[in-house]
Amino acid sequence: MAGEVLNIEQDKQFELEDRFLLFYINEMLHSVELRYVLEIITVQRVTHLPNLPEYIKGIINLRGKVIPVIDMRMKLGLEERAYDDKTCIVVIDINEMHIGLIVDSVSEVVTISKGSISATPPGDVAAKYIASISTHNEGTVLNIDCEKLFVNDLDTVAAN
Amino acid sequence: MNDVDAGMESLIEAFIYETNELLDQLDEILLESEKAKTISENNINSIFRITHTIKGSAAMLEYEGMSTLAHAVEDVFYIIREDIAKLDIVFDELFDLVFQASDFLRKEITAIQSGEYTPADASELVKSFHEQAAIMKGEAAAPAQTAPAAASAAVPAAESGALIEDNNAFRVRVFFEDGCQMENMRSFMLISQLQGCCGLVESIPAHPENDSSLSAEIIQNGLILICHNFDSEDEVLKTVEQALNIKSYEILSAEDVPSAKQAEQPAEPAREEVPAAAPAAASAPAPKAAAPAAAEKAAPATKAAVKQSLVSVHQSKLDHLMDLVGEIVTAESMVARDPDLEGLRLDHFTKSVRELRKLTDELQDVVMSIRMLPLHGTFQKMGRIVRDMAKKLGKQAELVTFGGDTEMDKTINDAIADPLMHMIRNSMDHAIELPDERVANGKPAMGKVILSARNVGGEILLDVSDDGCGLDPKKLLSKAKDKGLLTKPESEYTDKEAYQLIMLPGFSTNQEVTEYSGRGVGMDVVRKNIEKVGGSISINSELGKGSTFTIKIPLTLAIVDGMNLAIGDTVFTLPITSIKQSFKMTSPEQVIKNSNGTEMIMVRGECLPILRLHQMYQIEPRHSDIMDGILIQIENSTANACIFADELLGEYQVVVKPFPKFFNKYDLKAQGLSGCSILGDGTVSLILDANTIINNL
Repeated sequence: MAGEVLNIEQDKQFELEDRFLLFYINEMLHSVELRYVLEIITVQRVTHLPNLPEYIKGIINLRGKVIPVIDMRMKLGLEERAYDDKTCIVVIDINEMHIGLIVDSVSEVVTISKGSISATPPGDVAAKYIASISTHNEGTVLNIDCEKLFVNDLDTVAAN
Repeated sequence: MNDVDAGMESLIEAFIYETNELLDQLDEILLESEKAKTISENNINSIFRITHTIKGSAAMLEYEGMSTLAHAVEDVFYIIREDIAKLDIVFDELFDLVFQASDFLRKEITAIQSGEYTPADASELVKSFHEQAAIMKGEAAAPAQTAPAAASAAVPAAESGALIEDNNAFRVRVFFEDGCQMENMRSFMLISQLQGCCGLVESIPAHPENDSSLSAEIIQNGLILICHNFDSEDEVLKTVEQALNIKSYEILSAEDVPSAKQAEQPAEPAREEVPAAAPAAASAPAPKAAAPAAAEKAAPATKAAVKQSLVSVHQSKLDHLMDLVGEIVTAESMVARDPDLEGLRLDHFTKSVRELRKLTDELQDVVMSIRMLPLHGTFQKMGRIVRDMAKKLGKQAELVTFGGDTEMDKTINDAIADPLMHMIRNSMDHAIELPDERVANGKPAMGKVILSARNVGGEILLDVSDDGCGLDPKKLLSKAKDKGLLTKPESEYTDKEAYQLIMLPGFSTNQEVTEYSGRGVGMDVVRKNIEKVGGSISINSELGKGSTFTIKIPLTLAIVDGMNLAIGDTVFTLPITSIKQSFKMTSPEQVIKNSNGTEMIMVRGECLPILRLHQMYQIEPRHSDIMDGILIQIENSTANACIFADELLGEYQVVVKPFPKFFNKYDLKAQGLSGCSILGDGTVSLILDANTIINNL
């Protein structure tokens, strides 16, 4: 019984390895590892919370669960843009905490082999969040490191 | 190997739970008996049963100190049971000692719970018990160990003889799982459990707990249980099935049981007789001075009888259930108020929705009631504090409780235990005077601390009152002045405001720091803890006559009745309990503007500050003119204020959800937001905390 469960877990791990979700922020392809992604939903009414950093847009109701949503453009230091039909919320799970990321549009799920991933050049501002760079269909993809992205927020969560 | 560990762990968990319950019972019996200056036979039997069970379980888990101590207590009460007159010789010493033993056991349990258990030394206590036993027995001073042997012999032979003839006895052979270890102790546990549903249980081999070498025999032949006077066979089998580490069991007919049983018989029922006697004796409780006391007393005995129908559930499961019910309530109003259905004539649908509503309401009530616990247990602990402090401080006082059967959500029940304890300590330490002083002031030497609870609407009112010296507003003010805690001239303070001073951080009225209170972290911590669960506290006092502290607390945290307000696009929920009234302004002149930009309004002769929520929370409002929106007067225990909103959306029942952990860093509670809730249309509303909002002013 226990062995079976383990196998399924391993299969799942195997299935998700090297898989990335691609999405656009400011016309640049970004990606997060698929293992973090729970689901993708359309933009819905966000309840604003007072006196928070600008990039935290507020909270939404995801089937009875209240989750925070973050505007990725603002989080990455870009201009805010009005949401349209293509705007999506990518719900990710970091350390059992669900967070919604607002992105311009979602592209596809791809396998990026380890070989085609290269490190970020040092000294870049965005490098705080970008784990690595890879190419896909002759375009460049910035791979976001989810853990790093929320390191400031997660620190305190861990402390609490 | 893993299996054994898991088995042990659940055993320990069960042991901790059971022993805590038993110790609570023990304390209750002791307090009551001490007050009555005597002990009823019924209670002696209960004490016997309690200590016996603790002894057995502790021995099984190899907690030797606890086991020997429980054994020593059992010995002493054996002597008392034989001749109750002997109790008078050592009454006070003995009760102190038993209380100490109870504390010792409690401490051990806490240590086991914390996971860093190193056995404490119980030998001092055990020695004291043996000394008391020797005194009671007169100069003979026989070693206490002989007592249990005597107990076995004391059982009338006729009784055990009659039981052998019992053809109706129900026989079960039980095998334990391979390698589960300590089969003898597990057998003993099983026998003890069966005593819940059988009048008498015999086993082959007999008394497995006394000899670990019997384990081998049990592994080989299984444990044969012979149950007499059982309630139903199903009940017995269910108990067996539910016991830990049982591999298999079979039902035996009378012939299958070896005749060796006959030989075992005489020594057999001695121990088992004790627990069985307790429920039986319950039908004839000894007369008691006060009626409530008698009712309390009967409780532990009846408890044994109803135990079988109780199930202990982990709190996380209840929390989950509560969450689900909350979601059903939300989903239900989502369906009922679906915008697609607006304006349609739907007779049948409306009927069905009403039916659904009725059911979800009922479901919600049931789930809530599961989480409700009577305050009785919390009150009982306070009795112990009053007793101990009175002894230590040389004061005379008694605790009188009313409304112990008032029920409260488990979370709140746990949260108020500490504040209550602190307040009782304060009353005992600061308020109740020494007996001489009391008599000189024309009061009875025996002080009174009254703890009462009552249910008023959706709230519980808890009163802690004493007939001590009361609070002196002048003293409080001068002290607050010394500490620089005053915010306005001394003369402007009313008595009530002066009393509130003691709840400021850094205020402690006692000059000396005592063992119990007066560390300067007193009442402000009490207030904080109570406010944490949505309650408030107020003080009333009369100098020289006593004081009353009243705690107002919501019945439950999970679901509140709230008024929804709209401000811009954001919906806020304000708990109904904190709303006094809502009104529209009739003329702009009603508003008084301060030089610093704040606004105030006169309402029924009271001047109240106006809070514009949209400014506080930086929301774009639909109305910024105070004439267009609506004002809602909110209150906490001390003050009132008016908040300004765009419009009222109506009254709703909402399920309170905490903010996601993500926001822990940003203290939303300090901004007057206590949580959020999902509305019928799926949007999220923010729940306002009137208390914090007023305090932030």
